[in-house]
Amino acid sequence: MSFLNFVEGPLFTFAAAVFVLAALWRLIGIIRIGRTKDISPPKGSAAVGFIKGNLRHFIPRGIFAKRTMVHLVGGYGFHLGLFVLVFFGVYHIDFLNERILGFSWPALPRWAFLLTSAIAFSGLIMLWVRRISDPVMRLISDKDDHIGSWLTFLVMLSGCFALEQAHDSLRATHMLLVDIWLIYFPFSRLMHGFTFFLSRGQSGATYGRKGIDL
Amino acid sequence: MTSKAEIAVEKFLEKTDSEAASFFEACVHCGICAEACQFHLATGDPKYTPTYKLRPMERAYKREKAPFSSLKKMLGLAPKPVTEEELIEWGPLVYDSCNMCARCTLVCPMGIDIAGTISKMRAGYEAAGLAPEGLERSVEFVKKTTSPMGVTIKALSAQIKHQEKATGLKIEVDKQGADYMCTFSSSEIMGYPEVLGAYAKLFDRAGVSWTISSVAYEATNVGVQIGSASLAKEIVTRVVESAEALGVKAVISPECGHAYGAIRFAGPNLMGRQYKFEVVHIIEVIDQLRREGKLPAGKKDARKMTLHDPCQIVRRGGLLKEPRRLLDDSCSNFTEMKYAGKANFCCGGGGGVSANERAEELRTEAFSLKVDQLNGVDGLEAVVVPCANCRSVFEDGLDAYEMDLEVLGLAELVAETLAEPDEKQG
Amino acid sequence: MLMLAAFAAPIAAQSVRPPGNAVNLDDGIEDGPSNALGDISDTEIWDNFRGGNPRELFAAAPEGQVMTTTGQQWRVVREKLIRKYLGWLPVIVIGLLAVFYLIRGPMKITGGRSGKTIPRFTLSARVAHWFMAGVFIILGLTGLIILLGRVVIAPYLGLEFNSVLASAAMQGHNLFGPVFVFALIWLFIKFVRGNFFQWVDLKWIFKLGGFFGGHVSSRQFNFGEKSWFWMVILGGILISVTGIIMLFPTLVDDVRWLQLSTILHALGAVGLIAVAIGHIYVGTIGMEGSIDSMLKGEVDENWAKEHHDLWYEEVTGKSATAPETTEDAP
Repeated sequence: MSFLNFVEGPLFTFAAAVFVLAALWRLIGIIRIGRTKDISPPKGSAAVGFIKGNLRHFIPRGIFAKRTMVHLVGGYGFHLGLFVLVFFGVYHIDFLNERILGFSWPALPRWAFLLTSAIAFSGLIMLWVRRISDPVMRLISDKDDHIGSWLTFLVMLSGCFALEQAHDSLRATHMLLVDIWLIYFPFSRLMHGFTFFLSRGQSGATYGRKGIDL
Repeated sequence: MTSKAEIAVEKFLEKTDSEAASFFEACVHCGICAEACQFHLATGDPKYTPTYKLRPMERAYKREKAPFSSLKKMLGLAPKPVTEEELIEWGPLVYDSCNMCARCTLVCPMGIDIAGTISKMRAGYEAAGLAPEGLERSVEFVKKTTSPMGVTIKALSAQIKHQEKATGLKIEVDKQGADYMCTFSSSEIMGYPEVLGAYAKLFDRAGVSWTISSVAYEATNVGVQIGSASLAKEIVTRVVESAEALGVKAVISPECGHAYGAIRFAGPNLMGRQYKFEVVHIIEVIDQLRREGKLPAGKKDARKMTLHDPCQIVRRGGLLKEPRRLLDDSCSNFTEMKYAGKANFCCGGGGGVSANERAEELRTEAFSLKVDQLNGVDGLEAVVVPCANCRSVFEDGLDAYEMDLEVLGLAELVAETLAEPDEKQG
Repeated sequence: MLMLAAFAAPIAAQSVRPPGNAVNLDDGIEDGPSNALGDISDTEIWDNFRGGNPRELFAAAPEGQVMTTTGQQWRVVREKLIRKYLGWLPVIVIGLLAVFYLIRGPMKITGGRSGKTIPRFTLSARVAHWFMAGVFIILGLTGLIILLGRVVIAPYLGLEFNSVLASAAMQGHNLFGPVFVFALIWLFIKFVRGNFFQWVDLKWIFKLGGFFGGHVSSRQFNFGEKSWFWMVILGGILISVTGIIMLFPTLVDDVRWLQLSTILHALGAVGLIAVAIGHIYVGTIGMEGSIDSMLKGEVDENWAKEHHDLWYEEVTGKSATAPETTEDAP
C-alpha cells in the first residue's frame, strides 16, 4: 500500500471515525449535564428563543462594527471561504463522491476557487495575526488556540500546494494533515464549529423565556 | 478540612449546568467581548475582557466536569487546579468590574451570556467566603432591617406621611385585597421619596387600589447580587408571603434593575413554587394603564431630555419600547443618546458594583463613557433614569465629572405630566 | 518539521503524472497537414522570420512578423544572469549584517529602559503589518523555490524532489499572489501618514542613520523607515502588476510583456527580500526595544527619545533631551 493509499484509506477512515464519535460524545456530554427546570411563569418561548439566538448571532451588530472590523472581515472571510472551499472545491467533491456520499454536485470554477482561497487565507491570517498582536488576545489565548489556527492553516496550505494534482506526495501530505486535523478537532476548541449552536441557543432560550427580543 | 478553593470549585461545578458548559465549550477566545465591556473601554486594561473574568470557573469545569476531562487528566493535559490566591486575585474581576449588563452577549459571536455565568461564579465566591466586604456589609443590614441601606419601617412611615401631605392623597399600608402591592428600592425611599407620591397620584387617577407592606417594602435583593441563594430566597419569601397574606393581585417591582429579575424569574425557582399573584414591573403597569386610557397624558415637559436604559430592565428585562412610549407622551423634546436601547452602556454601578466600596474608583472611571454619551446630546437638560440604583450612580458620577444635569425617575415624570382631571385627553 | 516529515515519507512512493489540467499534445495530430514544411528550406526564410538583430534585447517586432526570437534572449537572461547571480544578493546581505553584528553588536537603548511606554502603532496598523509580513514570507519562500529550485535544490536533493517542491510552490505562489495585492493596499492605507520625506531626513542621511555612532533626529519614521516604506509600495506595485500579468497571460497581447514581467518580477522580489532581511534585523536583534512597537504597539520612552525624538516631543509634549521631570511639573 502506498503512503497516499494509506492516508486516504485506513488512516482517513480512522480519523473520520474519531472525528464523528468523539464529537458526538462531547456534544452529548455537554447536553447530558442538563439544567434545572425553570418554574417561573414564562413571558415568551424558550424554543423560539433557541432558534432566534442561533440566527441573531450570525449577523453582527452595526454599532460594534467599527471597533471589531478586523474580526468581522477576518472571521467572515475565513469561515465562509473555508466552507465554500471544503464543499465546492472540485477535488473535494470528487473525494466525497467517490469515498463517502456516492453523489456529486456542481463545483466552483477554477478562478472562483482561487479567489475564495485567497479570501479564506487572508481571513485566517488576519485572525491569527490579531491573536498575537492585540494585548487582549495575547492575554486570553492559550496553546489550543494557536495549534488550532496553525493546523487549519497547514491543512489549507498543503491543499493549495497540491492543487496541480501532479504529485502524489503533495496530495498525501494534504490528506495526512487532514487526518491529523480530524483527530484533533473533537478534543480541542475547533469543536466550536458544533458547540456554537448550543451556546447561542441556550442563551437565546434563556432570553426568549423572559420575553426579551434579542 | 476543605479549603476555600475547594468549596468555591465545588460550587462552580454545581452551578455549571449544560448552559454554562456550552458557553465554556464554545468560547473561541476571540476577545471581541472586550470591545463591548465598559470597564475595558474605559481603562484599556486587557484583564477586563469579559470572558477572562470567567477563567477560574472555566478551568474548574474543564478540569473536573467537561467531556474527556478524566482522559485529559490522565494524559496530564488537564488545566491546572484553581487556587485560593487565584480566586482572590480574580475577585475584583468577578465583583468590581462586571455590572452583569450583558452588553458583551450582544457582540459575542457565540451568544455567550457572560453576565448570567458571572452570577453563577459569584455563588462559588460567596460559598467560600470570598465576596467583597462592602457587599457583606449590605448583607448584615438586610438581616437586621430587610434593607441593604438599613431603612426601617419607621423611616418609611415618615416618608409616607410626607408624601401624603404633599399630594393630599392617602397611602395605605398593609391594605387587604388591594390590586397592587408596591415594593421599593431603599435608595428610592431615602433619596427620592417623591416616587411614593407619584405612585399615589398615578394609581388614584387610574382608579386602582394599591398598598405597601410594612414587612416587605424592600424590593432589592442583595442575595442575588452577592450570589447567595439562601439569602436571596429569604428576601423573596418575605415579599411573597406578605403579598399572599394581603391577597393582592400583583406585586409591582419598582424602577430598579435587578429587583425585577430577582422576584419575577429567580424567585419561583428559589422558593420551588409559583406565586399566587403576578409580578409586574412598574413601567409595564404604567404603560398598560396609559394604553387603556386610564392615565391620559397632559401638557408635555418641554425640556430636552434623553433616556438611560437600565441594563436589567431593557437589555436583560425586555422593556425596550415601554419607557420610550411613556417618554414620548411626557416630553416634547425627547432625544435618544448614542447607543440608545439594547446596546446602551450601564451606569457602571449595576451588578452590585455600586454597593461595593472597593470598586468606587473604577466605577467612576467607567462612568466616563456615560458622560461621553450625555455630552453627545446637544443642549441636554435632563436625563430620565428609570432605575433607583442607576439614578444614585448617575448623581455621584455627574458630581465627579462636574456636570449639571437633572436626573429624573420615569414614574415621577409621568405623574407630573398627567392631564388635569377636567382636561380633555390630548 | 511536520511538513518535512510528511514530504520525506511519501517521496519514495512517488509517481509523477502530468498536471490535472494538461492537454495531450499528441491528440488529433496524426493526420496533420501534409507537406507542412513546404518545399523550400533555406536560410533566407529564417532570416525573414527573425527580421531583426538577434543580439538586441527585447527588439520590437515589425508588423506582420511571424516569429520573435526574444524568447531565446529571455532564456539567456534568466539562466545566465538571474539564476546565476541574483540569489547571492540575500546571502550577501545576511553576511554583511552578520559582520556588522559581530563588530558593532546590537544597538542598546542609551540609559536602559525607562519602564514607561508610549503607544506607537495601533492594533489595526500592527495587524496590517503582520498580515503583509506573513504573506511576504509565504510568497518569498515559494518564489525563491520556483526561481532557484533548479539550481539550488535539484543538484543536491534530486530533480524529483525539486519537481514536487516546484509544483507546490507554484500553486501556493499563484494563490497567495492576489492576497499580496490586498495586503499592499492595506499596508499603504495604514502607514502612508508620516512616511513622506522631510528636511530632517537629510540630516539622517549625512549621519548615516546613526548606525555608525552619533545621534540622529527624526519624527515618527526616520529616513530609513520611510525609504523602506516606499520601496515596499513601489516594488510591491511592480511585483503586483507583473505578477498579475503572469497569472492572467491573456491580459497582454504580446509575449514579450510576459518575458519582461518574469524578469522584473524576479528583480523586484529578490531586491525586496534583501532589504526585508535588513528590516527584520533592525526590528529584532539589531536594535533593542524595536520589536515592542510591532508586538505590543508600545515602545519604551527612552527608545522613543533616542530614535524618534521629534515624534516623542509631538506625542508627549515633553522635551526629549531634558532630564526626567517630576510628575507635578506644570
